[in-house]
Amino acid sequence: MISSESVPDAERAAGIITRGLAAVIDLAVVLLIMGALYGGLVLVRLVYSPAAFSLPSLNTVFSTLVTFVVAVVYLTGCWTVSGSTAGAVTMGLRVVGRRSQRVRLPVGLLRASACIVFPIGLLWVVLDRERRSLQDIVFRTRVVYSRPAAE
Amino acid sequence: MGTDGDLLKHPVVSAAVGTAAMAVGAAEAAFRVAEKLPVFGPLMRRSVTGLSERGDRWVAQSADQFKALVAAVAVGLVDLVLDEMDLNALVRERLDIDAIAADLDIEAVINRVDLIALADKVIDGVDLPAIIRESTNSMTAEVMTDVRTQGERADDVVAGIVDRMLGRGRDNR
Repeated sequence: MISSESVPDAERAAGIITRGLAAVIDLAVVLLIMGALYGGLVLVRLVYSPAAFSLPSLNTVFSTLVTFVVAVVYLTGCWTVSGSTAGAVTMGLRVVGRRSQRVRLPVGLLRASACIVFPIGLLWVVLDRERRSLQDIVFRTRVVYSRPAAE
Repeated sequence: MGTDGDLLKHPVVSAAVGTAAMAVGAAEAAFRVAEKLPVFGPLMRRSVTGLSERGDRWVAQSADQFKALVAAVAVGLVDLVLDEMDLNALVRERLDIDAIAADLDIEAVINRVDLIALADKVIDGVDLPAIIRESTNSMTAEVMTDVRTQGERADDVVAGIVDRMLGRGRDNR
C-alpha cells in the first residue's frame, strides 16, 4: 500500500492473487477452446461416417500436444497483440516488456511455453521484491495493473 | 313550499273555491233541467252535439301544431335552465361519485379493452433495449472495477504478509 502511494505514476507490478486468478481464467478459456475443438471433431466424424460413429478416444500424447499448442497460441497472441489475455482483462492486468509496452513475438512464444511447462514459476511473485515470476525474470517481462486512465 | 301550503289554506281561497264549485253544480243542475224540457230539450241537445263535434274537429286539427309548440317551448325552457345551472358542480354536489365508481363493473370494461394492443403501444413508447443495455453496461463496469480493486488489495495484503515474514521493509518494491 505504502509503495503504491510513494510511486503513484509508475505502473505497479501485479501480485499473486490477481495473477493467479487471471491464470485460472485463462486455463478455463483454454479448456473451453479444447472442448469446442473436440466437439467440432465429433461433428465432423459424424458427418463423414454417420453409420460407424463412436465417440473418438484420443491419444493422450496427441491431446496434450494439441492443448499445449492451443495454450501457446492463445497466450502469445493475446500478449503480443494487446498485452492482456481474457483472464488479464478480467483482473485488470497487462504484460509488458522491460522497456516496451508490448511483448515481442519470440519472447511471447517462449514465455507462453515456459508458463505452461512450469506454471509453479508464478509462485515466485510472492517472494520477489519486484513481484516477478520466474518467467518474468528469465524473459525480462513485467505484469502490471492496467489502469483505464493510463491507457 | 311552506308559503304555497299556507296560501291553499287561506280562507279567501277556500271561499272562492267553494263558490266556484257551487256555480258549477248549479250550472249542471240547470242543464239537466233544461234538457228535460219538451221543445227546448232536443234543440239544445242537438246544438250541444254540434258544438262538441266542432270542438273535436278543432282539437284534431290543431293538436299537432299545439304539440309542436309545447315541445319547442319545453326544449327552450330546458335549455335555458341548463344554461343557468353549472351541471358539473351540481353533479359533484348531489351525486356520490365514489359510490357509483364502487358499483362500476370494471371487469366488463377491461374485457372490452384490447389489453395486449395497449401493452404493445406502451412498450413501443418505452425504449426498453436502451434501458437494459445501459443498466447492464454500468453494472458490468461496476463489477469489473470492484473485482480489480479487490484483487489489487488482496495482492498488497499478501505482499505485506510475506514482507513481514521475511523481515523486509515494506517500502522496498
